[in-house]
Amino acid sequence: MAGRKIRVLIAKPGLDGHDRGAKVIARALSDAGMEVIYTGIRQTAEQIVTAAIQEDVDVIGLSCLSGAHMTLFPRVTEILRNRKAEDITVLGGGIIPFDDFATLKKAGIKEIFQPGTYTEDIIQYIKENVKPRQ
Amino acid sequence: MLRFHTQTAGSTLTLQQPDNNVVRVAFQALAAVLGGTQSLHTNSKDEALALPSESAVRLALRTQQVIAHETGVADVIDPLAGSYTIEALTDEIQARATSYIEKIDAMGGAVKAIESGFMQREIAESAYQYQREVETKTRTIVGVNDYKMDEPPLKDILRIDLEIERKQRKKLERVREKRDQGRVNEALAGIKKAAETTENLVPHIMDAVKFYATVGEVSNTLRQVFGEYEERV
Repeated sequence: MAGRKIRVLIAKPGLDGHDRGAKVIARALSDAGMEVIYTGIRQTAEQIVTAAIQEDVDVIGLSCLSGAHMTLFPRVTEILRNRKAEDITVLGGGIIPFDDFATLKKAGIKEIFQPGTYTEDIIQYIKENVKPRQ
Repeated sequence: MLRFHTQTAGSTLTLQQPDNNVVRVAFQALAAVLGGTQSLHTNSKDEALALPSESAVRLALRTQQVIAHETGVADVIDPLAGSYTIEALTDEIQARATSYIEKIDAMGGAVKAIESGFMQREIAESAYQYQREVETKTRTIVGVNDYKMDEPPLKDILRIDLEIERKQRKKLERVREKRDQGRVNEALAGIKKAAETTENLVPHIMDAVKFYATVGEVSNTLRQVFGEYEERV
């Protein structure tokens, strides 16, 4: 089954309602030929992982602007590990201070995109680093 | 009279050259005052980097105070009255808003337009177009797609101590131990009963919080009756 599209779940963990960026990313990835599922706001880490597994995605893009990323992002990767789904690439975005990058990457977040990032660069990153599962 | 609140646009704040955000916020706040706003929130210059620091929040407040006391724009009701450009733009906004409202009315009103996802799609579409314009450089954002420079990351930002969560949980535990649980249960039951009717909920919520019911307990009680908003995506 050659040429399966890259499947991406864009998710908003936690309580902030700032979804402008998440929706822009979802649309941009979709226009770039990926299959994108957007969870909507106020999702728990459990809901996000469950949706990712059910939808058989290759990538999860987490968007958080509330300041709770240091709790919420590692929780997602931890649940992924517990459910043997750590092959899903997890990316982060939103208001993430540069100083938090190292801790988040250690927790399994592959890359973090800050405000001002071009959607083109995110698309390129995913195409270069994620192989769609067959 | 149309009373309105204005908040400067968080989506226009940039992580690049964050000092530029002070200028953006000042212009937006000035525009709000010139437009006759009754209430104003100015964003902090570091909000694209972190939750705002004390000094950034103070500067955002000082921006309003400079506009209020040093510019003179608040001395008259409508400083731009008679300006051809402003009047023409106002007419255009009015005409386009009216046709928008007519379109929404034809869909069955604002609630229907939200339920069908129309409003959400319109906002998302506009956000996406804005981003396309930035990336194709048909719209210039100073410091982001033009006038760029290498800069070290801003140092003076707010750090969130993860200890805060543990401390707050401890405090909450102590409140729960000390309060009269019978009274709390009674008050929450009162909220639930009122929520099932058209009765005013506020007095019941006031009762509950006086007995130290938490926001979470009050919300969960309301959730049992109303359910939760589910986004149509």
